[in-house]
Amino acid sequence: MTETPKRPKSNSRLIALCVNGEWHEVTVKPRHMLVEVLREMIGLTGTKDGCEQGTCGACTVLLDERPVLSCMTLAADCDGRQLRTVEGLAEGEKLSVLQQAFLDQGAVQCGFCTPGMLLSATALLERTPKPTTDEIKKALEGNLCRCTGYNAIVAAVLQASDQGVTPLMK
Amino acid sequence: MILYDFDLERPNTLEEASALLRDKGADARVLAGGTDLLPNMRVEVVRPATVVSLGAITPRDPVRETDGTVRIDALTRLATLEGSDLIRAACPMLAEAAHRVAGNQIRQMGTLGGNLCQETRCLYYNQKHDYQFKAPCYKRGGEVCYPYPNNDRDTCWSVYMSDTAPALIALGAEVEIVGPGGTRRQPVEQLFTGSGLTPHALGAGEILSAVLVPPAEPRFGWGYHKSSRRGGLEFGMAVMAVGLTLDGDGATCRGARMVIGAVREKPIRLTATEQAMTGAKLDEAKIAELAAAAAKEINPLPHHGFTKSYIRDNIKIHMRRVLSEATARARGTGTAENGGHHD
Ligand SMILES: Cc1cc2nc3c(=O)[nH]c(=O)nc-3n(C[C@H](O)[C@H](O)[C@H](O)COP(=O)(O)OP(=O)(O)OC[C@H]3O[C@@H](n4cnc5c(N)ncnc54)[C@H](O)[C@@H]3O)c2cc1C
Ligand code: SF4
Ligand code: FES
Ligand code: FES
Repeated sequence: MTETPKRPKSNSRLIALCVNGEWHEVTVKPRHMLVEVLREMIGLTGTKDGCEQGTCGACTVLLDERPVLSCMTLAADCDGRQLRTVEGLAEGEKLSVLQQAFLDQGAVQCGFCTPGMLLSATALLERTPKPTTDEIKKALEGNLCRCTGYNAIVAAVLQASDQGVTPLMK
Repeated sequence: MILYDFDLERPNTLEEASALLRDKGADARVLAGGTDLLPNMRVEVVRPATVVSLGAITPRDPVRETDGTVRIDALTRLATLEGSDLIRAACPMLAEAAHRVAGNQIRQMGTLGGNLCQETRCLYYNQKHDYQFKAPCYKRGGEVCYPYPNNDRDTCWSVYMSDTAPALIALGAEVEIVGPGGTRRQPVEQLFTGSGLTPHALGAGEILSAVLVPPAEPRFGWGYHKSSRRGGLEFGMAVMAVGLTLDGDGATCRGARMVIGAVREKPIRLTATEQAMTGAKLDEAKIAELAAAAAKEINPLPHHGFTKSYIRDNIKIHMRRVLSEATARARGTGTAENGGHHD
């Protein structure tokens, strides 16, 4: 490219996002990623910004019920769509069955991967209520964890799907 | 985070998108799932002034046309392909190939058209270059090639990594392309130039609209394998795809397509080995011989830390299994004809 592209005067636009059942109107530029908008404009910092290149999964959110990476999704392309983030999993003070299972199995250590793990696993359980261990591993393949060694996370998903795994910790 | 401002268009049809691309010229790029384009924009390997997002266009579900051809919208997500009953029944090799791409989130986002049109890669190219390199490489308009210092300015040894392209070529699939001159159709193979500098043979304003997979002939069998360092969430080291048909005797090969991806600037068809296969009885000894011939015929680029001889050895070993599976499926004795994934 020979010169910097001519900038349009203002290419910002107003978009509406339905996050965890609540509509938010935000003014975004085309270059803004969904993760930036969620964290910095809407103030929902549960979604983590990790590698920004698609390899860690910490930024996973559900877009129209599909797990996607918010670090490589243009916010402007999500106008009018339904999003779920980790903040939407609990009901008030009451954790979701999956969140409680993560605690029971010691599947949370530093916690950086946890929001992404929870959303990938939530999408799996809503589609496949009783997944096999292989299905769980496959669904979580795009979520990296540096701490737990994964076994506790797989056990938590098995516990949450009521497949004979009992809580380790109380 | 992308650090420069660009303009965004969200047309409602591919025809509008094509017109926008033509108007904006070389400074515009089309965005489908964005899982290849946006990371490249983040490191500014590509820096379009206008992004034409196809995000407002909803793909139709794959359908079987009256002549048996399966028509798949280019905007179909890879996750839709791996889960589609039609795809798993009619072209299970494509379901398997889609299943092998990256991890679940990327398959939920990435489209078949974007997978075919993805940029080539090398150890240097997909990084923010001022982070550790002084000047851009040939492909970025510069004067140097980092991984291959002996390269000339017109040679770029970046590798084309699509996992679906080898499968589609082995299936004899075609692409449908929408452009300024209307719609055209061509074999998937002809989508590639073989140059790492400009890997795709698409004209100004041209967009893939669909992929068309012909119906399988009687006694057709397929085999597919993606080799990679860890096996998950990773680009290929070598991707092998074979589609073959057998004669009525259930042993003699009537015709074959053998394709290797992720080792060169485009997927490579092994035409000499295909010819050696045709008319041969595919028993265990012959299959071993053909796998060795395939490893000899391919001339892989050393890439991402893999040497040429390592890639060849890997192909020799896995091609044997790929050919056995294809033969077993063609005989109807395969274990996974319905596209069951083997992990
Ligand atoms: C962590 C990670 C791992 C990955 N692993 C793999 C892997 O294992 N195997 C693999 O094959 N890929 C892999 N990819 C690359 C990429 O995610 C996939 O190839 C994906 O299918 C690209 O599709 P997309 O719709 O997101 O493409 P986009 O990013 O939207 O587009 C890619 C390119 O194609 C062009 N394009 C898109 N749609 C069309 C169309 N209809 N017509 C013409 N041009 C078009 C765009 O302009 C762009 O240049 C990986 C990516 C990441 C980030
Ligand atoms: S192989 Fe191609 S993309 Fe990689 S550094 Fe050399 S010229 Fe650039
Ligand atoms: S921050 Fe999105 S995948 Fe790592
Ligand atoms: S708990 Fe630390 S990264 Fe998973």
